[in-house]
Amino acid sequence: MSGVEAGLPGMDDAVRTAFRRLLLSLADSKRILGIRYSDWLLGAPSIEAGIAASSMAQDEWGHARLLYASLKDFGDDPVALEHDRQAAEYASMEALDAPFDDWARVIAGAVVVDGALAVALRAVAEGGYEPIEGRISKMLGEEAFHRSLAEAWFRRLAGSEEGARRLKGAVEEWLAPTLRVLAPDDEGHRVLAAAGLTLPAAELRARLAERVSPLLELLSVEMPEPLGLDDWDEGRGRGPGHPAEEAVERARGDLNRALFVE
Amino acid sequence: MDEIIYDVFTRKSRGDTLTHVGYLTAPDEAMARVYAWTTYDEENWFEMCIVPRSAIIPVNRTDGPFAAASHEVSA
Repeated sequence: MSGVEAGLPGMDDAVRTAFRRLLLSLADSKRILGIRYSDWLLGAPSIEAGIAASSMAQDEWGHARLLYASLKDFGDDPVALEHDRQAAEYASMEALDAPFDDWARVIAGAVVVDGALAVALRAVAEGGYEPIEGRISKMLGEEAFHRSLAEAWFRRLAGSEEGARRLKGAVEEWLAPTLRVLAPDDEGHRVLAAAGLTLPAAELRARLAERVSPLLELLSVEMPEPLGLDDWDEGRGRGPGHPAEEAVERARGDLNRALFVE
Repeated sequence: MDEIIYDVFTRKSRGDTLTHVGYLTAPDEAMARVYAWTTYDEENWFEMCIVPRSAIIPVNRTDGPFAAASHEVSA
C-alpha cells in the first residue's frame, strides 16, 4: 500500500482517531524512552556504552519530534503536545513509567520496548502513510544500531547469573503489557489494520516474538500472551497509570519554559 | 570484563583516503561496531570500519600505539 495522504482524508473518523492514537503512542513512548536512556549517559558500564546511550536518547527524541509534528495533520498543535500535557495524558508504554534502575533494565528496555516500537514503525511504513513513510526508513536505520547494542549486551549479561536474573525480572514484567500496546486486540486497532495502515495484531505479535525469542531462550523465558483488555485505556492505547511526573516535567521542558523560542 | 582495543577508520566521500580517527574499547565486535558509530559520529561518513588493534602489524617502528610486542622480530 502506498500514497496514503496526510491526515487520511476520506477515511472514517474511527480510522483517523485510531491512527492518531497510534502516532501519539509512538511519539510519547519515544520521548520517554529517550529520557530513560539519557539517565545512563553517565554511569554506564563503560564510557563507550554511555556515549551509545546518549546517542540512542538523541535518536529517540528526534523520532518523537517528527512523530509529534506529523500529528498536525490530525488537528493537533505539536507544540502543545510536546510542552503542555499532563502526565496522565501521556500514551507512552507502561514499561517506561519508572526509570530504568540498572543497566540490565536499560538493555531489557532496549530489547522489549525499543524492539516493539521498531516493529510498530515498520508496520506503519508498510502501510504507506506518505507523510512519514520515507523518514521511517531513516529511523529504522538508526534503530538497527540500537538493536545491535541491545542484543550484544543482552547476550553478555545473560551469561552471568546475576545479569540473567535481572534481565529475566525486567522482561517478564514488561513483555505482556508491551505486547498489548503494540498489538491491542481492540476496535481501534482492528479498523486500522482493516484499512491497511498497520498489520493485524497477530502479525505484529509474531514479528516481535521472532525478534526477541532467541534472546528469551537464553533466560528460559517464553513469549507471554498479551494482557487482556479489562483495564485497557482505549483513548490512550495503554493500561492504567502514567509516566512519573519527573520524567514528564523533563519531557515538557518545564524548567526552560521561560526561554521557549518556538 | 575483557576489553579489546579496536581502531576506527573512516572516509567522508567515496574517493577519500581511509583515515584513522581514533580507537575504542569493547568486549566484542558487535558492541565495537555500535560504539564506533555512536562515538565517532561527528561526520556523515561514507564508510567506517574497525580493526582490532592486535591485527595491526607494525612494519618499521617499534614504538607508538600499534607496536604490539607479539609482532616484533629480533634481528
